Amino acid sequence: MDFYFGLLQIFGVHTLLGLSAYVVLLTGQVSMAQAGFYAIGAYAAGACTAMFGMHILPAVLIAGLLTAVVACVVGFPALRVKGLMLVVATLAFGEMVRLFFFNLTWQVERGGEMVGPNGAEGFRSIRYFPENGWEIWQVTGFIWIIVAVIMVALWWVDRTRAGAVLRAVGHDETAAQSIGLNLTAVKVGAMTAGGFIAGIGGGIYAHTVTHIEHGVFGVLLATFAIAYPILGGLGSIFGTLIAVLFIQGFLIEGLRFMGDWRSLLFGALIVLAMNLRPTGLLGEHAPRLSQLFGRKTNDHDKSLELKEAE
Amino acid sequence: MADASGANEATAKMDYFFIIDFVQSLVDGLLFGTTYALIGIGFTLIFGVMRKLNLAYGAAALAGTYIGLAAFLAFDAPPPVVFLASALGSGLIGLVVYYCCFRFTPTSYPMASLLASVGMLLFIDEVVIHLSHGMPFPYPSVFSDATLELGDIWIRGDLLFVFGMCVVAMAVLFWLLYRTPLGLATRAVSQQPRAAQLCGIDSTRVNALTFVIAGILGGVAGAMTAAAVGVLSPIIAMGLTVKGLIVVVIGGLGSIPGAIIGGLLVGAAENVFLLLRGVTERDIYVMLLLFLFLTLRPGGLFGSTAGRD
Repeated sequence: MDFYFGLLQIFGVHTLLGLSAYVVLLTGQVSMAQAGFYAIGAYAAGACTAMFGMHILPAVLIAGLLTAVVACVVGFPALRVKGLMLVVATLAFGEMVRLFFFNLTWQVERGGEMVGPNGAEGFRSIRYFPENGWEIWQVTGFIWIIVAVIMVALWWVDRTRAGAVLRAVGHDETAAQSIGLNLTAVKVGAMTAGGFIAGIGGGIYAHTVTHIEHGVFGVLLATFAIAYPILGGLGSIFGTLIAVLFIQGFLIEGLRFMGDWRSLLFGALIVLAMNLRPTGLLGEHAPRLSQLFGRKTNDHDKSLELKEAE
Repeated sequence: MADASGANEATAKMDYFFIIDFVQSLVDGLLFGTTYALIGIGFTLIFGVMRKLNLAYGAAALAGTYIGLAAFLAFDAPPPVVFLASALGSGLIGLVVYYCCFRFTPTSYPMASLLASVGMLLFIDEVVIHLSHGMPFPYPSVFSDATLELGDIWIRGDLLFVFGMCVVAMAVLFWLLYRTPLGLATRAVSQQPRAAQLCGIDSTRVNALTFVIAGILGGVAGAMTAAAVGVLSPIIAMGLTVKGLIVVVIGGLGSIPGAIIGGLLVGAAENVFLLLRGVTERDIYVMLLLFLFLTLRPGGLFGSTAGRD
């Protein structure tokens, strides 16, 4: 049973990671910095509880806010460039964050032992949950409540003017600019929101695994972050959720019986999926693309969604 | 007084050795930087004709290098054959990447091919790890015992060879691009794909051939990296990818001279920071250099500011 709760926790944190990339992708920007934001959140939240003895909720919130600030600051220079340049810039930023934590040693004494990030060894014993006697189902519930809150918030934003603005910038920057939208503000805003979500995700992640180290937050995690929303489709947040369940549940856990071959199949399946459904599982309900695929695709999407939901 | 002058002399000597060390790592970095330049050129070529980013490029270069290594292990092939096999193998894998990730994904939706190339990156990486069991293998090198001494500066023979090979590869590329019909077609497609098609150029064929050419360049870069290090392990793929992309941004997207200068710059900066700050912090400063360029010259050294992307 614990195994399945553990799996649910992984789904939860990865959904947050995917959603953080989803927000940025809505504006048409591919950000490979999400793993870096996730790392900042993880170390910040870990420091708050393990080093300063805070409660988990403010710790995660602080992690989110701190990451949002960093994302905002990074957003300004990085979003001056677009397309490939942005991919490279954010990729470099993510690697820089990872290397920063690789070199960071900052320990304080607490309860007779030294806790804190210790360079290449990582940040050990972030034991807030076991120390305070949380059961595994409580932890899982806590994670999914946060995930649900963020998903509802994003779903709501998507239906307001803000969502329309994000998508407008994503579909055609020139058109968006010509109706008076401030591109920089929209993009940096999306980046900040993405950073906030990634920071919260990272903060929770640090507490579920209790030991974090720089190697986890590499380019691979960044590619996972953008893979979820693209694979799921940018039409709705449920695409990201389905993609997380598909990748983490089916490809990584479900195919475990295949041993070494599993990881081989993983990359091949992504390639196949992108060739068969380039706009993701749920597709993108954009006017331009619906013209391309016609009405039939939308109906097909719905049936697919229902099937996945069962 | 005697003590003080002795100390002065010591610091003077220290300074001298420091300068020698500095120049030494600068030279090594410049020589090794040619491999980054090659990877950068590969990214630039592919971007030029397709306006797409091929993230599987570094992995393809690595896989090609492993094909060369397989030739070395299986037939005990001499180094030139190994290098040739690496380059050709990588070119072949480049073609596979094109057909798997770029040929059939819609051009209007760049994220599809981007993610497909990420999937390909994971796939190639896993195949390599699977077949090599993740173990590092020795890779043949040439002139590794020879050194060229210029005063107190020693130039390693194998690095000089790496430099020479990369320069040859670049020269061949320039000949290909500016002296052959294929090169003319490639440049036409990268300038204006639709107009090129109207002139009767088969852009699919040009795209595929560009992937092959870029793959060959990547294979040369991978083989030269492995030859300079002496060991081949799957880790270098990520380094090649990230450094190659940085080179492209610094040099300016779509500019081959820019990629060459950028490659040398990154190679030199990397080695100098290695000397000054140690191996764990080296890459942080290279990334900072990138951010400096992004803020001050977003178009890169040679990039046109009115670029299409």
